Amino acid sequence: VDPKRGCKVDVVFSTERYNQEEGEQRLGKCSAHVFFKNQKPRPAVNVTCTRLIEKKKREEEDQLLYKRMKQLKVPLDAASIPDSRGHIDASLRPIWDLAFLGASYVMWEKTSQSLHYYLVQLSSVKQWKTNDDAIDFDYTVLLHEFPTQEIIPCRIHLVWYPGKPLKVKYNCQGLQTSEEASGTVEGSAVAPTELSNI
Amino acid sequence: MQGTPRRGLGPRPPPVNKWTLLLCSFILAAAWGQMNFTGDQVLRILAKDEKQLSLLRDLESLKPQKVDFWRGPARPSLPVDMRVPFSELDDIKAYLESHGLAYSVMIKNVQVLLDEEREAMAKARRLERSTSSFSYSSYHTLEEIYSWIDNFVTEHSDIVSKIHIGHSFENRSILVLKFSTGGSQRPAIWIDTGIHSREWITHATGIWTAKKIVSEYGKDGILTNILKAMDIFIELVTNPDGFAFTHSMNRLWRKNKSIRPGVFCIGVDLNRNWKSGFGGNGSHSNPCSETYHGPSPQSEPEVAAIVDFITGHGNFKALISIHSYSQMLMYPYGHSVEPISNQKELYSLAEDAVKALYEVHGIKYIFGSISTTLYVASGVTVDWAYDNGIKYAFTFELRDTGHYGFLLPATQIIPTAQETWMAIRTIMEHTLNHPY
Repeated sequence: VDPKRGCKVDVVFSTERYNQEEGEQRLGKCSAHVFFKNQKPRPAVNVTCTRLIEKKKREEEDQLLYKRMKQLKVPLDAASIPDSRGHIDASLRPIWDLAFLGASYVMWEKTSQSLHYYLVQLSSVKQWKTNDDAIDFDYTVLLHEFPTQEIIPCRIHLVWYPGKPLKVKYNCQGLQTSEEASGTVEGSAVAPTELSNI
Repeated sequence: MQGTPRRGLGPRPPPVNKWTLLLCSFILAAAWGQMNFTGDQVLRILAKDEKQLSLLRDLESLKPQKVDFWRGPARPSLPVDMRVPFSELDDIKAYLESHGLAYSVMIKNVQVLLDEEREAMAKARRLERSTSSFSYSSYHTLEEIYSWIDNFVTEHSDIVSKIHIGHSFENRSILVLKFSTGGSQRPAIWIDTGIHSREWITHATGIWTAKKIVSEYGKDGILTNILKAMDIFIELVTNPDGFAFTHSMNRLWRKNKSIRPGVFCIGVDLNRNWKSGFGGNGSHSNPCSETYHGPSPQSEPEVAAIVDFITGHGNFKALISIHSYSQMLMYPYGHSVEPISNQKELYSLAEDAVKALYEVHGIKYIFGSISTTLYVASGVTVDWAYDNGIKYAFTFELRDTGHYGFLLPATQIIPTAQETWMAIRTIMEHTLNHPY
């Protein structure tokens, strides 16, 4: 591939269950082709994995997680998770997990050959609604951008119907630009997310 | 309270059953274990003449006492200070006013002052404790660290001393710990932590390392040999203004807090302000950027202080600048991909150091030059050090690799410090064995 026009990266990795229990085996082996076209963000990703949790079991676990989340009392002034000292209250862990999921979508969309991101903190929760069959979650995160070292606040609104694709809308503030985008992601909230060819 | 003679004191307050009052007092006293002065005020009265003074003495002789004199009636020229309980305030003020006694309110609420004082005392007690009750597995404030430094130096004055190398932009002291077993201007090793204030794990690691050095001297053969021939200098809070800011207002502040007239944004990235490749790629000329290099090399007092100290000393042989996060150990250059002349030696040393680190808790670090391992960055500390003749110049990026990033849980402080120590020790040992 002509380096001026694009950059191809081949990645081989193994996945593990998020919030893996002690002694659980590492899961699937995956290989991915990542293609950055013309220095633009939102690389094309083609992933194949073996030995993931089977679909039926995934759906069961999603339902369990959803039920647990419905019970959660989210303090609306829940700010700064984790706190300054890196601590996350055990009771607030599921919120962090879901926030992370939404943020990972945003980070994938923003990543380019020259810029990449890490999630620093869930800085505020605007809304946490569990009506009907869905979780409606409106929040702000802080992303740490490499190599610029900037801290980017992103407002994220996600809606999760277990069994249906995650819907994510976001709005990030950069130094110069303010970009907005939205999309839907295939995958469940529990097992390692399969990013289909988008 | 019932049946008390009330000489000219205005309307009687509603009668309170004295048993109720007694019961309430007991409950309050039990609940607080102490007196409650909420709403009590201290009034200052200036009596014009003897007549007015005697009016005040009347108050003094009331039984039971309605006021508590802090400065009793003596002479007309001297102020009279009295504490008036909240319940008596209206009556007493009416009394003073009706007799033309001028007064001012010195203390609006005695309890508030007492609470503030109690807090200050508790704070002072925390600061006063010796280093043996200092928690090495917690993050600390600037005051706590500076207090620990004083205690530490006192407790280990045989080998540790404190040096004041300058002032920050907001005029805070910049302090360096010197570890020395004697000699004069011995070849020296420099370690700095906290140049980027949000990297809290670095200060915490530095403090633990200082403690480790004094406890290993005489026990660990390698460290003992190092200190027999060399001095070690540690600057724990390289960016004190930024650090104070991460506690007070913005946990993710990176730069210092310098302000320039006409410039909208605050702060310079202290790790882009050094005189080596200054202003090049990987630094920014926009003051609002997190990697703003400043108007000129060494423009920042925090950087200038170190430059002056190290060049003034003239005998530094190694420099280690500690950051987080990414789990990397790197050597110059940051400003270009051109390899340094002793690249092979530093590569090999980094490899050994990273291996020693791994053996402690299994944490993997990658290593290489800054520009090829992390990214191109100009005006960085280690580039300056290397260009100024310090052959062994390294920079660490401590734990983790992005999961918690800057917000590394305090439970990881000691494991991080333990593994980092082994890498630092490897570098120091090599420096000792390769004099130049």
